[in-house]
Amino acid sequence: MRDISLIVRRVWKSAFMFTALSVLIVSGTQAQDVVEGRKLFKDNCGSCHTLDRNSTGPALTPKLTELDEAFAIKWIRNWKELVASGDQQAIEAAKFSPAEMTTFPRLTDDQIKNIIAYSKAGEPKKEGDAALSAAAGSDEVSDFSIAGIAAIIIISIVILVVLGRAIKMLERLILKRQGVELAEEVPFSTGIKHLFKNKKFVFFFILCVIVCLGSFGWMGMWETGVHTGYQPVQPIKFSHELHAGTNKIDCQYCHTGAFKSKNSTIPSMNVCMNCHKSVQATEKYDGEISPEIQKIYNAVGYDPATMSYDKSKEKPVEWVRVHNLPDFAYFNHSQHVVVGEEAIRKEKGLQPNEPVCFACHGPVDTMEEIYQYSPLTMKWCVNCHKDTKLEVKGNAFYDKVIEAHEKIKKGEKITPAALGGLECGKCHY
Amino acid sequence: MESNKKYWKGLEEYKNTPDFVENNKNEFAEPLPIEDVLNEAGLSTVTPRRDFLKALGFGLGAVTLAACQTAPLHKSIPYVIKPEEVVPGIPNYYVSSFNGQSVLVKTREGRPIKIEPNPNAGVFNSGTDAQTQASVLDLYDVSKLKSPVLDKAEVNWSKVDEFVKGELNKAQASGKKIRVISSSVNSPSSKAVIADFITAYPNTKHVQYDAVSYTGIIKANENSFGKAVVPKYNFDKADLIVSFGADFLGTWISGEEFTAQYVSNRDAKSLKAGKMSRHFQFEAGMSLTGTNADTRVPVKLSEEGPALITLYNAITGNTLAGGTLPNNVTADKALKLVAKELLQNKGKALVVSGSNDVSTQILVNAINSAIGSYGTTIDLDNPCKRYAGNDAEFAEFINEMNRGEVAAVFILDSNPGYDAPNAKAFADGLAKVGLRVSFSDRKDETASLCNVIAINHNYLESWGDANAYEGYYSIVQPTINPVFNSRQAEESLLIWSDAPVKEYYQYVRNNWEKTILPALGKTWKDVLQTGVFAATAKPAGAYTFGLSLTAVIPSILNNSKALAKDIELQVYESIPMRDGKHANNAFLQELPDPVSKVTWDNYIALAPKFAEKLGFKEFDVVSVKDDRGYTIELPVLIQPGQAQGTASIALGYGRTKVGKAGDGVGQNAYPFVSFTNGTTKYATTVKLSGTGKREELAQTQTHHSFEGRNIIRETTFTEYKKNPATGSGNEHGKHKSYDLWDKYEKPGNNWVMAIDLNACTGCGSCIVACNVENNIPVVGKEEVRKRREMHWIRIDRYYSFNQENDGHDDHAAHGAHGHSNGINSVTKEKEIADLTEDKMNNVSVVHQPMLCQHCDHAPCETVCPVLATVHSSDGLNHMAYNRCVGTRYCANNCPYKVRRFNWFNYWNDSRFDNYLNNEFTQLVLNPDVTTRSRGVMEKCSMCIQRIQAGKLQAKIEKRPLKDGDIKMACQQACSANAIIFGDGNDPNSEVSKALRSERIYYVLEEINVQPGIGYMTKIRNTDTTVQA
Repeated sequence: MRDISLIVRRVWKSAFMFTALSVLIVSGTQAQDVVEGRKLFKDNCGSCHTLDRNSTGPALTPKLTELDEAFAIKWIRNWKELVASGDQQAIEAAKFSPAEMTTFPRLTDDQIKNIIAYSKAGEPKKEGDAALSAAAGSDEVSDFSIAGIAAIIIISIVILVVLGRAIKMLERLILKRQGVELAEEVPFSTGIKHLFKNKKFVFFFILCVIVCLGSFGWMGMWETGVHTGYQPVQPIKFSHELHAGTNKIDCQYCHTGAFKSKNSTIPSMNVCMNCHKSVQATEKYDGEISPEIQKIYNAVGYDPATMSYDKSKEKPVEWVRVHNLPDFAYFNHSQHVVVGEEAIRKEKGLQPNEPVCFACHGPVDTMEEIYQYSPLTMKWCVNCHKDTKLEVKGNAFYDKVIEAHEKIKKGEKITPAALGGLECGKCHY
Repeated sequence: MESNKKYWKGLEEYKNTPDFVENNKNEFAEPLPIEDVLNEAGLSTVTPRRDFLKALGFGLGAVTLAACQTAPLHKSIPYVIKPEEVVPGIPNYYVSSFNGQSVLVKTREGRPIKIEPNPNAGVFNSGTDAQTQASVLDLYDVSKLKSPVLDKAEVNWSKVDEFVKGELNKAQASGKKIRVISSSVNSPSSKAVIADFITAYPNTKHVQYDAVSYTGIIKANENSFGKAVVPKYNFDKADLIVSFGADFLGTWISGEEFTAQYVSNRDAKSLKAGKMSRHFQFEAGMSLTGTNADTRVPVKLSEEGPALITLYNAITGNTLAGGTLPNNVTADKALKLVAKELLQNKGKALVVSGSNDVSTQILVNAINSAIGSYGTTIDLDNPCKRYAGNDAEFAEFINEMNRGEVAAVFILDSNPGYDAPNAKAFADGLAKVGLRVSFSDRKDETASLCNVIAINHNYLESWGDANAYEGYYSIVQPTINPVFNSRQAEESLLIWSDAPVKEYYQYVRNNWEKTILPALGKTWKDVLQTGVFAATAKPAGAYTFGLSLTAVIPSILNNSKALAKDIELQVYESIPMRDGKHANNAFLQELPDPVSKVTWDNYIALAPKFAEKLGFKEFDVVSVKDDRGYTIELPVLIQPGQAQGTASIALGYGRTKVGKAGDGVGQNAYPFVSFTNGTTKYATTVKLSGTGKREELAQTQTHHSFEGRNIIRETTFTEYKKNPATGSGNEHGKHKSYDLWDKYEKPGNNWVMAIDLNACTGCGSCIVACNVENNIPVVGKEEVRKRREMHWIRIDRYYSFNQENDGHDDHAAHGAHGHSNGINSVTKEKEIADLTEDKMNNVSVVHQPMLCQHCDHAPCETVCPVLATVHSSDGLNHMAYNRCVGTRYCANNCPYKVRRFNWFNYWNDSRFDNYLNNEFTQLVLNPDVTTRSRGVMEKCSMCIQRIQAGKLQAKIEKRPLKDGDIKMACQQACSANAIIFGDGNDPNSEVSKALRSERIYYVLEEINVQPGIGYMTKIRNTDTTVQA
């Protein structure tokens, strides 16, 4: 009988440990899911869906909350299959819009679950901008879910503790009935003390603490200096969503340098004036010129009343740089968007209507305010240079280069790395 | 003829002094104080536990705090209205000219950052000299004035105009003289502006004078042929060149152009065709040209005149008096030989003299006429217009001022307060002038004596033009808006003369469209695009010298006699500093003199024996006193090859009001210049006395020693003709080599370089070009003394003796690695010490550019503990600065000693306040190259930014990379084309062809690090067919 109780106790102990550990793991993975989901969402869904309102596709937060997960997974992966199979719900859903949704056969169940998790959780809180009330609602949701999980775990620990004590009590009762003499029951605090005298426990406890702190530290270090999602407040509330998304203005129209130079170049204000001399958004501001557009006028010294410029009033706009590469890293836009365009498109699976810029800058056409989409770490650069297959056909530059590479002739994948693109001096000089 | 030359970089190496041996053991001059730390408190002190914990806690906290920073807040400020032609990140090139040479100015985002030669420049299509390369830094000089100055107060232009016009009208009304003083003006538009000014104020006269004058040549040509010009010299047409003290490859008239011409008869191409010119140099001080001569004969300054008479007598058979050199048997013998060779090479020879004495130059004209130079190697009909100074007029102007006849003086682009032969008299006279206007950009020695400083634009902010040769025009166009409140001098003159067109741009354009363009059939737009126009050259006439020399000879002999009476001092233009105009340019101050390798100073150069005789050792500070009582104290530099009994001091130093970098560097030697016989003379006699002080010069020559290993390979032209591989060490085939390392695959490109030692003159413009291109810090005198100069490319100068080695038999004892294998022209370790000293007078010099050799089996790579320096698949040795932790192992392990360590953040340290330590000057930095931080190693990257840019351009244009698409900064600047860069995998590239030359050898090939830079043997044309 005592053996049984020992076994039970042991099981209880390990269950306790397991639960304690899973608190960390679950909370960790849960957060990761949403981040992963957000990325997948931006890569794959963002061009047609938003979370809270219908656009090309329906608003995803209400839709996915309402839908059964299994159905949603099937639908997202290949809705056409689902419709063809005669699923009534699918046939109904397909009626939302005449625009056909893209199928995503490459997405795994987990990835789709992540997207769903993100859609349900909503946009995470934005860094450095407390004033953004739009994000507040979705923040509550995610906070609540974390708090809920924590509560469940705490409750289960409590239950386990209570159960453990009950088992102990019962055990004592049985022993008493059997007439075994028992020592006085030790008070709880003494029990804890005992626990801490248990070398195995202490060792295990410390190990856990070290593992936890270590892994947090490790993760933290990887994140140090990585500013994915960095979204500073800009002097003018310029919306890429409106300009690139709704109005479909080509990236090059403003960022002229990207196709010629290492800098993509922030447009000078005279470029803005090409349109905003007439586009003043007065309809939204009761006939007044939009205060944001007024900022352009202030910068170039333009007086809309007299439609004249005053050069002495020119004052450059001081944008806050979003994408900060370290000074010792050389990056050239034209290399990527002109020479490497085809390769990058293929590697990143961009749609023909999407500009190649999206590969690194993300779905800019859905960004109300621009944020840093990619981590811009060296690992990120290097991985892409390792994986991307170069499109060398039609570019005479590569003819000789390819001819010279024996390995490539033997069928090795032509990546920037294979042509020496990972050597230090190619980016650091 | 087998030579057995030993090469040494400096006397200390030659003598193997204990200091030198000690220094040589270490890559770095100052060892780290590790021993001190270990011996003293270092190990014995006990760190209390609490202190340890405090430090630990602070460290952890600091690191955590540093890591907590969310995101860097960087501003990104676009143009308000972007100029159409500017794309941020892409350079724009504009044609302009510097000193009459057409150049390309590279600008980034509206800032000029680099000067490059203009490939369309025609006659002047050579590289650029160090001054041109460094000139871009002058634009960003913080020592310049920011607004015009009137009576010591900064004012606006209207006040200046009001004052100047008022004074001018008073001067004109009073009938007193008005003078415009300038250095030689060759710009047609500037000349027209001055002419207009003279029309407006008829009392005006334009006086041109140059700090280093060519009046002697001009007057001599006027006297001999009725043409008051500096002729155009064609060194490319000369198979035999004889120079008497003319540093024509360096400072004399047009060094870069002459270098290109000179080298065209001596470079790899010419040698392949079996042709090489021959060059004799007779001179006192060791000049850059002297170091390149096939035969250099040291002659005293007082012997130069008699030497010319000797030569004249020998050529013409005349018996003019004084035609002997009783005290210089070598020179006498050499001259007889030269005379015979000159006669053999009639019409293909050229004799030049660096003297500014009219009589001497008339004699040179007579010699040149006798050997048929006119019409071939000397062209009097398309003369050089860069020098038109008239010493006599300037001397007269000083007298006029002192007599109180001058009411107004305008000083344009000259600094007589510093460099006039009699600066004191000039200053005294100027004090008597009412209106004193300087167009200087700073409060220099002259401007500080003036009541108006009408600050002029830098040439990069100016419109203008130049007319360096008859019929050869180039344009100056601005590449940046004026940074300060300056105004172009010509525009000021136009305003003051109330000209109808006051804007100088319009004036230049009108002038071209009216006078120059119609004759050429071109438009103004064409000019702005190509930058230069050359009218068809007139046929060069053959002139004959028909005058009597009877009046000339006594004058020459008198000069000679006057000089012979004491220690003969030669003051000369040094390659880095020239006339001192750019003395505030830190790049130039830190450019080592090509011969002495001294930076940041001038010195008095003495021959080793002569110094011994006088009782001076190297770096002893001596007092130099001339007849007129002018005294300066300078450290002694022992200069092998300097003529006995002579001393040399460089001009251009000792400026007092030029700015942060140049003030108080060296001593001013201009007061030793005198005005005699109608021209300025750069030779005088001095007395030397010891001061007991000692000052170490910041010399780079024996830094980075090769420990006497076999570095230089040379041969003679005769031997070369027999077997082109002679002297390369490979004439008997290559050794079989065994590799310890795996071979690097270089499938795509293989960037390699070939350097032609026979073309390289050692001028050093590549060093400055590299500095500008690669943001190389200037470290200053003190740091250079500590061997911490940062130059990525240096030019090693090796001396060797001309005659056969006395210790020939001794060396046979070294058999195994000496003669027995037949490689005789190779110095073996430790052999240097065997040489004797009595030939110190007669040394020859080899210049060897040394930069990272980009070894395939780089020794630096294997010792780097953090893989900061690694190999690339295109044959380069990469240096990742952000990985480097500064162990300096790589520098210790580099056999070529080309790695440089950043001891300081030179751009942000008040101790280095002469170059980059301010935001304004930092605008000169090349944005495509990282500025390195303290504690990081750096070295030549083979201009990787240019390689990458060239490749990208080809990729964008979807075309294969062509040979010549990518040029190194050093290569571009080189007038001699001594540096050839390209893809070694392309068998048709220039560099592949060069590397297949028989003359190619690799430095320290025997240690099998497989360097990527091949050197072509030095060849001397010393053997003669003429019997003396």
